[in-house]
Parts: sequence; C-alpha cells; structure tokens
Amino acid sequence: MSAQPRPFVEEAPRGATRRVIGEVILSVEGVSLSFGGVKALSEVSFDVREHEIRAIIGPNGAGKSSMLNVINGVYHPQKGTVRFLGRPRQDVDTHEAAAQGIARTFQSLALFKGMNVLDNIMTGRNLRMKASLLAQAIRFGPAEREELEHRAVVERIIDFLEIQAYRRTPVGRLPYGLQKRVDLGRALAMEPRLLLLDEPMAGMNVEEKQDMCRFILDVNDEFGTTIVLIEHDMGVVMDLSDRVVVLDYGKKIGDGTPEEVRNNPAVVDAYLGVSH
Amino acid sequence: MTADIGKLDTFPKLLMHHAAVRGSAPAIREKDLGIWQTWTWRQFADEVNAVACALAALGLRRGEHFALVGDNRPRLYATMAAVQCLGAIPVPLYQDAIAAEMAYPIQNAGIALAFAEDQEQVDKLLEIAPQCPALQRIIYDDPRGMRHYPHERLLPYDKLLVQGREGMQRDPSFVEREIAKGSGGDTAAMFFTSGTTGVAKGVVHTHASLIGPSRVAAELDRLDANDVILAYLPPAWIGQNIFSCAQAYVAGYCICCPESSETVMIDMREIGPTYYFAPPRVLENLLTQVSIRMEDASPLKRWLYRRFMDIAQRVGGAILDGKPVSTMDRLRYGLGDVLVYGPLRNVLGMSRVKVGYTAGEAIGPDLFKFYRSIGINLKQLYGSTETAVFVCVQPDGQVRPDTVGPAVPGVELRFTPERELVVRTPGLFREYYKNPQATAEVKDAQGWFHTGDAGYFDADGHVKIIDRVKDVGSLADGTLFAPKYLENKLKFYSYIREAVCFGHGRREVCAFINIDPDAVGNWAERRSLAYAGYLDLASRPEVAELIGSCVERVNADLARDPQLAGSQIHRFLVLHKELDADDGELTRTRKVRRRFIAEKYQQLVDALYGGAASVHIEAQVRYEDGRSGTLGADLKIHDVKTFVPAAATQAA
Amino acid sequence: MKQRYLPVAILIAVLAVGLALPLATNASAPGFYIEVLLGGLMAGVLYSLVALGFVLIFKASGVFNFAQGAMVLFAALSVARIAEQVPLWAAVLLGIAIMVLLAVVVERLVLRPLVNQEGVVLLMATLGVSYFLDGFGQTVWGSDIYSIELGLSKAPVMILGDLFKGGILINKDDVAAAVVAVLLVAALAVFFQKTATGRALRAVADDHQAAQSIGIPLNRIWVIVWSVAGVVAVVAGMVWGAKLGVQFSISQVALKALPVVILGGFTSIPGAIIGGLIIGVGEKMAEVFLGPVLVRAFDLAGGGIENWFAYVLALLFLLVRPEGLFGERIIDRV
Repeated sequence: MSAQPRPFVEEAPRGATRRVIGEVILSVEGVSLSFGGVKALSEVSFDVREHEIRAIIGPNGAGKSSMLNVINGVYHPQKGTVRFLGRPRQDVDTHEAAAQGIARTFQSLALFKGMNVLDNIMTGRNLRMKASLLAQAIRFGPAEREELEHRAVVERIIDFLEIQAYRRTPVGRLPYGLQKRVDLGRALAMEPRLLLLDEPMAGMNVEEKQDMCRFILDVNDEFGTTIVLIEHDMGVVMDLSDRVVVLDYGKKIGDGTPEEVRNNPAVVDAYLGVSH
Repeated sequence: MTADIGKLDTFPKLLMHHAAVRGSAPAIREKDLGIWQTWTWRQFADEVNAVACALAALGLRRGEHFALVGDNRPRLYATMAAVQCLGAIPVPLYQDAIAAEMAYPIQNAGIALAFAEDQEQVDKLLEIAPQCPALQRIIYDDPRGMRHYPHERLLPYDKLLVQGREGMQRDPSFVEREIAKGSGGDTAAMFFTSGTTGVAKGVVHTHASLIGPSRVAAELDRLDANDVILAYLPPAWIGQNIFSCAQAYVAGYCICCPESSETVMIDMREIGPTYYFAPPRVLENLLTQVSIRMEDASPLKRWLYRRFMDIAQRVGGAILDGKPVSTMDRLRYGLGDVLVYGPLRNVLGMSRVKVGYTAGEAIGPDLFKFYRSIGINLKQLYGSTETAVFVCVQPDGQVRPDTVGPAVPGVELRFTPERELVVRTPGLFREYYKNPQATAEVKDAQGWFHTGDAGYFDADGHVKIIDRVKDVGSLADGTLFAPKYLENKLKFYSYIREAVCFGHGRREVCAFINIDPDAVGNWAERRSLAYAGYLDLASRPEVAELIGSCVERVNADLARDPQLAGSQIHRFLVLHKELDADDGELTRTRKVRRRFIAEKYQQLVDALYGGAASVHIEAQVRYEDGRSGTLGADLKIHDVKTFVPAAATQAA
Repeated sequence: MKQRYLPVAILIAVLAVGLALPLATNASAPGFYIEVLLGGLMAGVLYSLVALGFVLIFKASGVFNFAQGAMVLFAALSVARIAEQVPLWAAVLLGIAIMVLLAVVVERLVLRPLVNQEGVVLLMATLGVSYFLDGFGQTVWGSDIYSIELGLSKAPVMILGDLFKGGILINKDDVAAAVVAVLLVAALAVFFQKTATGRALRAVADDHQAAQSIGIPLNRIWVIVWSVAGVVAVVAGMVWGAKLGVQFSISQVALKALPVVILGGFTSIPGAIIGGLIIGVGEKMAEVFLGPVLVRAFDLAGGGIENWFAYVLALLFLLVRPEGLFGERIIDRV
C-alpha cells in the first residue's frame, strides 16, 4: 500500500458514466388529439431513447396526461403516429400496449383496493402467465411452478421497494406514500420496456419524494428500464431526467437536456418563470 | 463434549466447536425474499473461514480494528466472527448514526477496513473518508444502487468470499492456526458508548469478559442449543452482541435476522423465539399497538379484553411466580388464557418465549406487570456496556417490577455512601480505548467499577435502582427528586411518548411532554378531531386536556408514596416537536438527555417556572436528509391538580 | 369510522328469537319444525345459486344483471329439452356450451357497444336481455312445463324416526342439490382466490383502467365472468327444474335473489350463500308459524307471507346496514 492514501473518487455526475443511452424506442410523430372542439395536443413530436429518463413538463392543462394516455393507448390521436420499437401503432388499446411492454402508474391511485399488496403486484405478472385456467385452479404441476416463479419475481420487487412489512396488508390501509410504491411495484412486475410515471411524487412529503426518486433512479439503473415521467416538482425533474419535453397548451415549446430547457426563453416564460 | 466446551476461551473456538458438534443444526437464519434461509453451523463456520482468509489477504492483522456498520445480517455476523478468528477486533457501529458520528470511532481506532451493509452505509463511510485517512477498503454486502460507484476502495462481499475460498484452497489450515493463537485474555470486541455526555468512548472487552458472564447467565436460564432468538436490535449495542453472539456461541442456539426493521413484528410471529430481549421502549410500543387495536375492535372483543385483563392483573403475575391462587381464579385465568392471553401472546410473537429480559432503563411497573400477567416470563436485569450486561438478574419466582434482582453468581456489589452502585465482575471491561484517564475515573485499582447509578438493596437483598447518581436531586425544600422515576410514570400512559421532568433546586416539579403521535392521532381520529400534523395535534386544547388528566393521575399515585409525594408535577407543556436523537435530544438508545434539553429549551423551562400562560419558541430542526430549518410555535402551559400526601391526610 | 353494531345486533337477535319462538312455545312438534327448517334451507340454496350469479357479474363488471333469472330459466329449458334427445351429462355439457355462447354474444352485442356508459344504461340493457331470453327460450324450446330427471327417487326418506315422533321427511334430490351447491361454491372460491384469472377478475372488479394498463383485456374478462354466471345458471336451473319442473315461473322466483344480495352484500360470495339461506328459512318459518298467529290475532287471511317477507327483511337491512352483512366497506384514508 502506498504511504499516501489515494483520495476517494467523487461520485460521477449523472449522465456521465451511468448508463449507455441506446436507440430510439418510442417516437411520437405529429400527434394531435382533440376532445369535441377542444385541442388537447397539436402536432407534438418527440422521441424517447432506450435507458433514458424522459420528463414531460408543462403547466396545468398543457396536455401532459393526454400525451401519456396516447402513448399508453387510452386515447387514440386523430392525427400523427406513435412508433414503439420501430413499429407504427394505430388505435392500440391499453391492454395491447401493455402486452407490447408499456407499463404505467397513475397520478390518482388506481390500485386494486380489495386485494393485498402481494396480490396487487402479482396482477402485474398476469400477462406472463401461460398455464390454462383449469391447471391454475387445481395447481397442476407446471401451473404451480409458474406461480412460484412469478412469486419469486414479485418478491424481488417487494424487496426492491422495501415493502416487505406490508405483503398481506390490504392496499387501502396503507399510507399514501406506500400506495404509490405498490403502484410502481405493480408496473415493475410487468418487466416493461417502457415505464410511464404519471406524477409519481404528487402529494408526497419531502422524505417520501426522496425515497421515490431513489426508486426511480434505481429502476432505471438496475433494470435498464426506459422511463417517461410527468412531474410538477421542478427540482425532481431536473435532478432525475436526461431530457425534458415542455408542453404548453398542447404544443411542444421546448425539448432538450434539463440545462437547455432551463435556459430556453419560451419555457421560462410559459412555465418556469411564472410559478414554482 | 459439553465438558470441554467450558474450556473454550474464545469465540472462534466456540464457533468451530459447534460446527464440529452440531454441524447440521441451524446457526443463523435470515428472511430473504419472503423465505427463511438457513445457515447451519457448518456452513456458517465455512463462510467465516473463507472471509477470514480474504481479510487476512487484505492485510488485516492481529490486534487491528475493523468497523462493521449495518443491520443484523448473517454476513455481518460472519464478518465479525472472521475478524475475531484473525485476532483482530470488530468494532460494530450504530447503523442509524449519521456520518459525522462515525468519524470519531474510525479515527480513534485507526480503522483501515470496514464492512458496510448497503449503499446507505457506504455513502456515510465515503462521506467521512477524507477525515479518516487510515480507512483503506470498504466491503459491502448489498450492491444495489452502487453499480456506478468507482470501486477503487469498494469491495463487494461476494468477491471477498470468492477470494477467500481461493485462499482457503491454498492454505486450508490457515484460519485454524490463527484461531489457536488466540486466548481468553485477547480483546474480543470494542463497543462505542454513545454516552449521555461528552465524546464517545470505546469499551474494550476481552473474550473472557464476554464469555464468562454469558455462560453464567445461560446456565441460570437453562439456555441450550434448541433456543431461538430474533436479532433485531442494533449490533453495535453490547446487549445485542451478548444475546445474539456471545450467548449463542456459548449455548449453540440459533439467531434469526428479520427481513427488515419494519417486519420485526411479523418475523417474531413466524419464528416464535424462545429467548427474548426488549428494552422497555420496545415493550411500550408493542403495548401501545395492542391498545390501539383493542380500541378499534368490536365491542364484544373490547369487553372480553377488559374483563380478562382485570383478572390477569389480579392473579396472572402470582400464577407465573407459582404463588398460591384460588381454584376459581385459576379457572378464570385458564379461560382468559384460551380467549385472550394466548391469542395476545401469539400476536406479539411471544407464544414460545420461555424467558424474556428487559433492561436499559427502568421499566414502568404497570407495563412490566402487563407482560407478566399474560403469562410471559419477562424479567429484569441490570448491567451496562462496561460490565457485559449481566450484573443483576431476577431469578424465576423472584421477579418484581421495582428491583433488578440480586447479583449474578460471581459478581460482587456494594453501594457507596452517595448511594452509587459499585461492581466487581468477571465481565468487567479492560479499559476505555486510548483513554486511561476515563478508565481510571470509573475503575479503581481493586477492580471496582463505578456504575454512576443510584439505588439501594431492598429487604430481600435485591438491588433497586432509582436514577443516575448525577440526576437524583432535591427540590428547594430538600424533598427527594428522581426525574427518571417521574418520567417513567408519565410514559406508562400510551398517549405520552416522552417526558422530561425538571425540579432540582426548584420549589416544585414541572415537565415537558412529547405526545405519542400514533396513540394521540388515533384518539383524535375517533373523536373526529381534524389535525394537520404533529405540531397541530400537539397544540390542540383537547389533547392538552387528555395529557393533563394523565399527569393528574400520576400525581394522585405519587401522593400515596410519602417519599415522593413532594415531587408531584405542578405544570407541564406539550413540546412542539418530537425529541430526536439526530438533534442530540436523545441518545442513540433513545434515552432522554435531560441536561442538554434543559439548556436547549432554557426559554421553555423559564416559562414553566415563570408562571406564564404561554411561550413562543423558534427552534432549529434537522430533517432526515440532513438539511435544517426553523420552526415557530406558541406553546401553552398547563397547570395540574396536585394532591395532599396520603400520609399527611392520615395524620390529620 | 361510525360503529353500527348495535342495530345489526338487535335485528339479528330479533330474527333469532323469532326462529326459536315456535319451539320454545311448543307451537310446533320438533320433528315438524325441523322439516320446515330443512324446507326453508332448501329454498335458500336455490336463492343462493341465483344470487351467486348476480354477485359474480356485479363484482367483475359493476353491472347489476337483471337477466340472471332469465338465464336460469333459459339454461333449465335448454338442459331439459336437450336431455330428451341425449343423456343427461351430455345435455349438461351442451347447456354449459350454450351459456358460454350466450356470454360471448352478450359481450359483443350489448356490453362492448355500451362500454363506459352510465350504470343505469347497462341495467336497462340487462333488463332487455332478460325479456329477450324469456321470449327467445320459449321460441326455441317451447312454453310447456318440462321436467329434468336427475335419476333419484322422488319418494321422501324418513330419518331420525326414533328421535322425533313421525321422524323427518327429506328428499334425496334436495340433498343432492345441496351437495352440488356446496361444491359449486367451493370451486368458485378456489377460482377467485387461487388462480391468476381469478386475480384478474378481482382486479377488473376493483379498477377497470388499472386492470387494462397491466394488460388485462376487459372484453375477455366479461366473457369469462358471464360464462361463469352462465354455468351457475345451469346448475341453479337444473336443481330448480328437477324440483319444481321447468317453467316460466322460475324466471319470476329468481327475482328473490334481489333481497338476498341486499342482505348478503352485492360483492360478497359468502354473503350470497348466507343471505339466501336466511331468506329461505325466514320466509318458510314466517309462512308456517307467523301466518296462523296473524290469523288468530288480527283475523287476517294470513297467506302470502312468503311473497313479501324477503323484501321487508331486505328493507330493514338497507336501513341499518346498507352494504349488507358481508359487503365491502371501502376503506379510504383521507
């Protein structure tokens, strides 16, 4: 050992050494969406690259949730296309989007209230269950094995999200912050290629937000999951994301790294300068 | 075989003995991914062997110190044992300590190698690394979140294990030879006391001073290889080390590591430990949870609970002590056992507990009686880090709420004229590390240790501890003032989380109260009382009334005791924040630092004695993420009814 | 949380006292009393089976299926008429196949076009399905009274003859029906609690949007749940048909399932069973023992208690415990 102790290397800044950002896996091309006469989105285009964390920000009513719902297949745009993994999709339903590898969490919780935490997350494995109904019911060999395999995946997620103490707790009894974690857990159980997070920190206190940030970063890091998130907390967005899309009145007004977006005058006018 | 286990004088020798004698019996269990995983004594010894080889290769030498930071995990215990195999000294640190608190022990002991459980602990060690130039390598267990950490000085445990196994192949008897070099007089471990005042001190224990008392106490309670314990308290605390290491090595029983700190209750229920230790605080929390659940239960269950708890209060303790109880009461208790006590023990995870201990601070008599009355053999013991825990132990059948029992065989006790307890025991520490002055202050030439605790022998020769010598005071008129005693009485009420009493040199006693947010929150919810967080809840007049009634009942109780009648509580206020170890108001073992609090909140104390109706406070608070902020609040001061001493009334 | 144990406890106590009164006052011989009780339980099993169909569909899709009674009639008719041509077991299988087909058709033509509509719209739709099935069944299978022969002797068996004077008379096919009902309930419980599909069904019941987002296709779930309700209808129809003959009145009697689910809770399978038994026993007891009392005391005609008793009981429950005995109170944290 050298006489002079070597200094510890500081943690590398985000984006520098962390992950390798890959090819474009999702592209939104000229998407327009309107309800009746009201335009929710007009001519919005952007792309999402594999392994990145992409944020969509904008003032209330800017069309962020609509955008997420288009990607997720809840809404079908009147104009434009969404390409996922290179294939254009037209009128894909939510459950089909899920089958393609797109998972999401909800701004206002949408957990299965009648079930406990374990069952809620287990539902995320539903798409991957192959055994026939009858085999499941009588716990026939392969079905039993399958259930155990899925349970093992779910246990890893429970461990990952640090909710071991609540496996058997009905989700309705959990505090809000933990319910948000279960929501994330259910989405993770799908092992998605693309994870959509709709205001993952809404209504949380500082400590819960920090926990959630850590989970999002770890998901991105450990599993390489590509993440698209909507968030109001600007600090969170700037810390977490690799690139940011800014929407205002359904139009894209900015796109780039957090630094670029922060210095974009149009964005500052519309959003950053006004509130927060 | 049992004959020669008594001669084994170090922990590594004991470990290898168990690996040879009961190789396939469980040594340690951990719940991981929802399943209990088991290491047998042979597997555990094998892992220890490998880790020891790897640590030796990393340069760990006899007599050097090694830091361990983390929760109870098999790998932490394996590393600790491996360090001991090499004759080096494990220094477990509190895993919930902030980084700055870890710097001193690491500097003080010149630590070069450390084990950290996960990213959280690694981050803390990295943060203090610049101040600890000697620190060379950090071994970490859980790699999560550290994928992109520069690993120049970080070494994953898995890799260490692989290196160790290679080393074992090259020299299979290396560790065996190292173990043979050790003897009972060698240092076994060093524990840093948080200490209520001043800087932390490293308490140096030898193998002999840890094994000796552990052996005596294990025999006293007939512990054997079939016992099971749940290791859920911080490994840095000597008690945890004694119960989950020293005694396990002596008796050969199995240690179970909970899945996480939040799952302890669930894990307790699944494991059903037979040997149990809990500081009064934990027992208090459990009882609070039971009370809350009972208040939410159906009227039938509530009625059953109240009805049978009355019977248990009356005869449960006597039945456990084997005292005569009428047949009718036995029948009633038997019915209660089926309907209430049994299920309650099961919920608490204590169905199989054959002996449970509590210590660390005085326990409220009602709290203590509660556990005994439902058939759990909870006993008290007295000891400290310096005395390797076992100084006094209550033998079965001689259990009282207000004493800690007679001396353990082999321990000598006496009281100084100042009422201070002094002890001579084979479990006595060797010294405070690099601090001969401090050592000399408490340990005299004849080997007597000054405990700093005040008390006396009762009529049966049991030791009764009232308080710390320095804290026992007197009111202005000379009345005895034992703050801890009063605080414990207050804290028995589930609504009161923490209490701090003042009165030394004053004309009367006043108190700070911390409400229990869970219990009071629940109480408020049931009354449809809306509140917006701790501060709001604490400042509600309804809550003050609730707390006031608790204080009043304490006063009524005190009035019955001629010695303490004078120290009834006259005024109190409900604090604006929870007392917190991070703010220095509690020790890491969550004891109130009364003097520190008195200084920090001087303004509040003055207001209590100044007769004001309310007081405004601006306080610095430190959040868990390390940032700090200020909090402003108006605190109301409340008067409490006091009672004429019972003795006086009788005289009149 | 508001505690409402007391009124429920009082109501249950009154029912229990009412149940015990005929025996306690020696108004009835014990043997006869037990026969009435068993008769009530038997009717209760039938109510339970129909109620089960309601609960299944309500749980999974939030739709109150008015057509459940019509489905029972249609299933019974199908089995009865097909059984005239082929062996009974084949007729049952074909009956199940028809009900699954019906489920597919209902999903395609009714539920899918009406997705995201108000609950009332769906309720009206099921009412339409109900009338259609009533008529369509007669169009296809005819409108006479048909019978289903389970192959068990109709002659009542006397048991416990040495214990009570006159013994107790029970029918073998009643016992068989009870056994079938128990098996069916057990199978459903396993299906819902232990299988991934059952979990998916519960997921859809809780939150449509979230269920879709994890890849559960709503349409398929609807087909599954209507098929299961169809199978339940086959079983109920057969049990009922074997006892009373397959005729139009089945569809009307099936409406008794409404008070049953109010009593048991709209979302509870055990609630449907226990609610059915309570109503079955209650109304039989009231008819037999309360009727004569009314005649004597108030000089009323005293008949027809069976027709209104269930609804009055349901009304009382609505007042004291709207979620029913076992219904879920949604636990919400503010």
